[in-house]
Amino acid sequence: MSNHDQCPSTLKGEKKRPGKAELAAVARSAGTVNGMNVWRSPEEMTDAPQFRDWLEREFPAGASELERRDTGESRRDFLKIMGASIALAGAATIPGCRRPEHKILPYSREVPEEIIPGKPLFYATSFPRPDGGAEGLLIETHEGRPTKIEGNPIHPTNRGRCTTWALASILGLYDPERPKDPIYNNPVKGKVTASWADFRTWASTHFGKYSENGGEGLAFLVSKQAGIARDAARDAIKRQWPNARWVPYRGFDNESAAAGLAMAFGRPVREVFNFGKDTTRVVVSLDRDFLSHEPGEVINARGFSASRQVITTSDPMSRLYVIETGFGVTGAQADHRLRLSPSRVTAFAVGLAKFILPKLGDANGATLAAAIDAVGGDDAGIDRGFLEECAKDLLLPENRGKSVICVGQSQPAAVHALAAAMNAALGNIGNSVFYTDLPADEAVSSRDGIRQLAADMDAGRVTTLVVAGVNPVFDAPADVNFLEAYGKVAATICLNANLTETAAISTWSLPGAHYLESWGDARSVDGTLSPVQPMIAPLYAGAMSEIELLAAIRQFAQPESRVDGFELVLDAWRAGVASGAIPGSSNFDKFWRRALHDGFVAGTTIAPSAGRTGVRFDEVARAAASLAISAAPSADKLDLVFRIGHIGDGGMANYPWLQELPEAGTRTVWDNPILLSPKTAKALGVTPEGYSDKKPEGVYTDPTYPTARMAEIRVGERLVKGPVWILPGMADDTAILTVGYGRRNGGVVCDGVGFDVYPLLTSDMAAASAAGATLAKAAGTYMIASTQNHWTMDNRESIVRAVDLAVWKKYGDEIVPGGPSLYQEPEMLKLGERLGELAHTPPNDSIYKNPYNKSIREAEPESVFAKGPQWAMTIDQQVCTGCGACTIACQSENNIPVVGKIETAKGREMTWIRVDRYFTGDDINEPAAMLHQPVACVHCENAPCETVCPVNATVHGPEGLNYMTYNRCIGTRYCANNCPYKVRRYNFFDYGVTKFNGPYYGKDIIEAVTPARGGITGSSTHNEVNPNLIPPRLRAKLEEITRMRKNPDVTVRSRGVMEKCSYCVQRINAAKIETKLSKLDHIPDGYFESACQQACPSNAITFGDMLDPSSKVTAMRDHARSYLLLGYLNTRPRTSHMVRVMNPNPALLNLTAAGKARVESWAHPFHGGGHGGHEGDAHDRTGGGHAFRIDNTKKAQDKGYAMSLTVLGGGSMA
Amino acid sequence: MSSIHPDQTTAQRLAGVVKTPGMQPIPPGSGDGTLIDTPGVRAPLVLNNRTFTEVTDIICGYTENAAPRWWLPMFGFAATVAGIGGLFILYLVITGIGTWGLNNQVDWAWDITNFVFWIGIGHAGTLISAILCLLKQKWRTAVNRAAEAMTIFAVICAATFPGIHIGRQWMAWFLFPIPNSNAIWPNFRSPLLWDVFAVSTYGTVSLLFWYMGMIPDFATLRDRADERLRRLGQGGPTILPFIPVRIDAVRVFAYGLLAMGWRNSGRHWHRYEAAYLILAGISTPLVLSVHSIVSFDFATSILPGWHTTIFPPYFVAGAIFGGFAMVLLLLIPSRELFPNMKDFITLRHLENMAKIILATGMMVGFAYSMEFFIAWYGGNYYEVAVFINRAFGPYWWAYWAMISCNVLSPQVFWNKAMRQSPIVIFIVSFLVTIGMWFERFVIIVSSLHRAFLPGEWHMFHPTAVDIMIFVGSCGVFLTLFLLFLRFLPVFAMAELKAVLPQASPHPHHDEPHGHGD
Repeated sequence: MSNHDQCPSTLKGEKKRPGKAELAAVARSAGTVNGMNVWRSPEEMTDAPQFRDWLEREFPAGASELERRDTGESRRDFLKIMGASIALAGAATIPGCRRPEHKILPYSREVPEEIIPGKPLFYATSFPRPDGGAEGLLIETHEGRPTKIEGNPIHPTNRGRCTTWALASILGLYDPERPKDPIYNNPVKGKVTASWADFRTWASTHFGKYSENGGEGLAFLVSKQAGIARDAARDAIKRQWPNARWVPYRGFDNESAAAGLAMAFGRPVREVFNFGKDTTRVVVSLDRDFLSHEPGEVINARGFSASRQVITTSDPMSRLYVIETGFGVTGAQADHRLRLSPSRVTAFAVGLAKFILPKLGDANGATLAAAIDAVGGDDAGIDRGFLEECAKDLLLPENRGKSVICVGQSQPAAVHALAAAMNAALGNIGNSVFYTDLPADEAVSSRDGIRQLAADMDAGRVTTLVVAGVNPVFDAPADVNFLEAYGKVAATICLNANLTETAAISTWSLPGAHYLESWGDARSVDGTLSPVQPMIAPLYAGAMSEIELLAAIRQFAQPESRVDGFELVLDAWRAGVASGAIPGSSNFDKFWRRALHDGFVAGTTIAPSAGRTGVRFDEVARAAASLAISAAPSADKLDLVFRIGHIGDGGMANYPWLQELPEAGTRTVWDNPILLSPKTAKALGVTPEGYSDKKPEGVYTDPTYPTARMAEIRVGERLVKGPVWILPGMADDTAILTVGYGRRNGGVVCDGVGFDVYPLLTSDMAAASAAGATLAKAAGTYMIASTQNHWTMDNRESIVRAVDLAVWKKYGDEIVPGGPSLYQEPEMLKLGERLGELAHTPPNDSIYKNPYNKSIREAEPESVFAKGPQWAMTIDQQVCTGCGACTIACQSENNIPVVGKIETAKGREMTWIRVDRYFTGDDINEPAAMLHQPVACVHCENAPCETVCPVNATVHGPEGLNYMTYNRCIGTRYCANNCPYKVRRYNFFDYGVTKFNGPYYGKDIIEAVTPARGGITGSSTHNEVNPNLIPPRLRAKLEEITRMRKNPDVTVRSRGVMEKCSYCVQRINAAKIETKLSKLDHIPDGYFESACQQACPSNAITFGDMLDPSSKVTAMRDHARSYLLLGYLNTRPRTSHMVRVMNPNPALLNLTAAGKARVESWAHPFHGGGHGGHEGDAHDRTGGGHAFRIDNTKKAQDKGYAMSLTVLGGGSMA
Repeated sequence: MSSIHPDQTTAQRLAGVVKTPGMQPIPPGSGDGTLIDTPGVRAPLVLNNRTFTEVTDIICGYTENAAPRWWLPMFGFAATVAGIGGLFILYLVITGIGTWGLNNQVDWAWDITNFVFWIGIGHAGTLISAILCLLKQKWRTAVNRAAEAMTIFAVICAATFPGIHIGRQWMAWFLFPIPNSNAIWPNFRSPLLWDVFAVSTYGTVSLLFWYMGMIPDFATLRDRADERLRRLGQGGPTILPFIPVRIDAVRVFAYGLLAMGWRNSGRHWHRYEAAYLILAGISTPLVLSVHSIVSFDFATSILPGWHTTIFPPYFVAGAIFGGFAMVLLLLIPSRELFPNMKDFITLRHLENMAKIILATGMMVGFAYSMEFFIAWYGGNYYEVAVFINRAFGPYWWAYWAMISCNVLSPQVFWNKAMRQSPIVIFIVSFLVTIGMWFERFVIIVSSLHRAFLPGEWHMFHPTAVDIMIFVGSCGVFLTLFLLFLRFLPVFAMAELKAVLPQASPHPHHDEPHGHGD
């Protein structure tokens, strides 16, 4: 049998291969592992001839590569692959020796005849989300190398936008630690690097023996994916081995929702929201963070923001009630928010149902209401007024059919069913929310599946387990004891694109193909079917996708030709079109090319009205009636809530962008501290160091680094230890635990980062929450890194300006002349500016005439600034959810490095666009609101940074951009000091070209002499030494493969250089070149987008030419809600922010004194001493902009301010 | 008819020798005798009735005699500290600015604090040598040489920091208007560039002033060495026992080179006096301009706490304040350690300088209070917040350290006994030096760490590299000053002799109180 690989690209020089005799000798002599005799069979122990025979079959001479290869992927290899890729015909070719050459068609306005070096091409594909569903993407490729992920503009799900997960998924492709070769866990020698040929040899004999018994003992643990090709693969496996176990699995699955909706509809369905201006008026979220980290987040964000954004004063605006445990991005959007522990949320849901259902005049509803009438539980902690006003709002006739009640993972199935019933009774189904059938594999319960599988494995009923695309050893429920069961399976095969804990202990660990290098298909939550097409040949030859492995395994039983992913997908789709499952045309080739080109199949998107209807009220009633609501938590019986953070269930933990993306609320990075409300933390004695109620920000200012105290959290026998951090606005006596951290074998980025909380999750939990946990202070402290060290706006209400809808309606159209004149002409103030300092600033007449545009609003006609394009941006804070997609998109586009935990804790993060978060209100435990404000360089026309740079490294461009010239910059940092927005980012070290983490030269020596320290990731596994003390020249350089991801159009900055947002100047210039080539006289509006704008799922960012009167940015910039951040400094920013409008329910406000005051303030919303009549408390206007504490200096300051305005004649100002 | 100058009379009376009839010896108890408040008696500027020869011998002796026993260990210590600081600078340059405790909110901290601190120290020297010279304050002659030396050394320390604080130190030449292939000039609008010009001008002029003043003294040292060589033939001590080079030969060569052919002729003296006066005239505006321009680094920015029009006078007053404190800090130990130095640096000199410290200390105190007043009066919330934060925010300790050292501690000088006590003056000077460092720290860090947008507020925590580079700069300063004490003429001999009583005999005086004649 010849297994010699004939492909030159996969042959890496001569390998020294051990001979047969040598091997056998080794096997016999080295038969000890960990000091114990190890044998696979009695034959081996006795060194029987049969065993030698077997061994020979297993490792034929010349087929094995027992020598560990040089693991570094050389540039030469890469170029070889890429050279082939370019050579192999035209725009789009997938090269490969074994594979047939297939064309993938580029998505572009005109198909280029050939690649133009330096000009990227865009191809459509889709990203199968790890939590279900898919996103339609466009991938920017440079000379065949994918560099950037963008949303597909014509894909119905994404419409050009995408999420942090999709954006960061490219890091999985270029992860330097990806498994490159199959690894065989030789029982004798331990792990050996093998070849695919070895695997095929092994597998062909191994799987052959299952032919007789129909696959008994064979089990497949696969990811939950919903693709036609995957379904075909499953069906094929089931046909071939009817007795084989097929277990679709997901680590942290939304089980309760699936169960509850199945209960309500009698079939597995998925809830999809149809938010929109016309469809949504009231949204009630019961601990559901529907704007982040869920399969439909991009749809939800788009629709919800459309229902919120007010452009004219007559625009309707939806109202959001959020009842949640801790601030998520959805809670930050709330008009009314109630913090409740998960058990109280359940009680609230029942209370809401009891209130609403009888009043609907609906027989079903009345029956259900009667059924749950007995469901009690105490009402402790539930604000009855809130509940009733919220319910009344839902019941308003104009809101019927235009509301949504949605429920989060922390709630048991019955609550999900109840919400579906309420949605049905309110007439929402088919309008504002709809339910689609779940694909078969997605409908399976992960928890039940893995529990059953583990039991089978434990009982020895599984002899071969194929694990593909999942990591159960890390994320299986704790009571399943998967790890132990895994060891009892004779042969385990694990396929993963990145390192996993499961692969580390499998018999065979196989390198998986990333979705950017494999064929497949996926379905979005709205049903849209999208092909997954490779952008590049697998970087490591032979890497297989999940469907390829499944097909290959099937083939091993009956050796035939190799199975190719492209053909698998094509066959499945042909069959699908033939059976009518896919709405395709008779000309399949044409249909297929269209689908690849567009990135989706037209006509597969489900209309809301086509969703499932018919809620089984009787079933819901039965389930809800048996709902046991546990008592309100107390300090010794805490409620626990499990949730996912930016790294998902842990599968994306090795993506440093996501690790360094601040979590909503806490703004912590690189960690998952246990979150408690300040009050609870104080009661339990686990407040962070430096905390006091009077000075909550002391946790950031008192210790050198923010320092958390360690605690042990215990549920029954199960125990997890971790640091405790406080989150304002959390429910008391509740702890939030973020899963996915504490990886042990996931790669250098994530190993040892954070704490593994999976040991607390069990398969019998009704929802992702638990009751009756205890938390005790443990010894030790722990450093926390946060990008934002201050909670409040510190009385600076004009930073994030927010008004209530009533104010917007009343004053939105009003334009008043302002007293001051920034531009030496009477200033006409719209609402946005009337809310800030500009309305109070004394005249700022300058004797200095700017030679370019003078000190007037309009540029001098002859100056360069009078000619278009003049770039400008607006950021609408009303719809910004704070999800962080802009940050990641910018990081990807502009090659922004990550800096690690310690550097972030020092305040050295490099992100060009950050999202500031402020809590408002007077009580840190119960803030009134959480506000988000994205800030990037605002490209001031009078830029303070430009005048102070001694070397002219930051200068003004003719199109209004503030240029940063890296090679001119010597790094005096004066510009950053003088920047009022603090958007400039300094390369304190060589972040861009050296590893932020990982090995460095001389590590052994340094570690020997330096006491162990937390290291950059807080990990005990990596970086025992503070890497800041390792000179960058000694740090390992970035791997070649990592550098392949970089955008070649953007410079990688060296140390000692300042950087900042450039308005994506590379995109501007590319657009300019294109328009010039097309002989257009100007760049049309929307011709290109900045990276942040392009990513923003809620369309909060607008960018364009402000001299173009028809451009969107001009309209937004001149909009009444637009204001210039710190505009009174006369910096004249080109980026304007837009006032956030909130839509509180006046009836609910009137229940409290503070609310009443807020309603009263609508009559005179403009604060400041100039208006008379309310000087002392004039700043207490709306929910926005209070400090936590009653600041004793505040009143004096306000009086001083008022007095000074009087002195300066400000009393007469508008 | 007496040919005795009234000053000499005083000197005689102090010595208990009364040659003039009717004169009584001045009783002991008036300090060292220079603190006379009697208007009729002119206090001597040099004690112990020194003759011209004695003055020359004493001052030249500091360089010609064997080094005091403490000198070498102290020099070794200072040089070691300087060397360690140098190694930390090397580490900084190799590794990156990240070794300092800076972050994206606080981009300057100890680096610029040290720069402004040292450049401020350098102000007293030029003030003493130029402004006091023009104002004919004769007491300056005893301290001007040392103060000028201190200025040079402080400027050297100060100039280090802008050079090393930039991110790419090897590109520091971009700061100079050197024609280059990019055809890009420096940005003349940037105060940092003004700094480059201001500090280099100041350094150059101060060096010239200092050096020119030393030329006659170099000639003296040269001639004395030459004379010894002639007298002893080839004898005299060698550099080291095994190096047969006479120390005096080295002196003749080195001082001869430095003396630039000075022959003590009347024409030389004429030119010298004119040039000295011209340099004093040039230096005088520089005293005011340098620190004004340094203050522009802050004043021209838009940062609350920096953007203040009172910065130029406030910085100049603070610089004089801190500079005098440093002069005292150096001279008080020197006069204790060197023989006969108390004859030249008398208590009266110390008291005069203490008075200047008291006056300038109150000026800076006034500036501190005005900042608060203007912040309140200006009605800008951000401005108010910065100053409240300064006094009561996380860096309150730095602010109150500054206030207590700079405003409160000099108040002891209202008491005459206190400002005449060298130990009290020394302690206060020490406190003032610390306070002035904190003043710059407070201005820079407390303004930066909480600027406009609370979302980016961060604390600054110094690292070992921050600290050791500052300590190293102190080592450099001390090393250079010790070298100065050992190898250069510490006093301007000719000028000192000019203020001796015998330098101005008045042949027509009969009356001891004949000042008015």
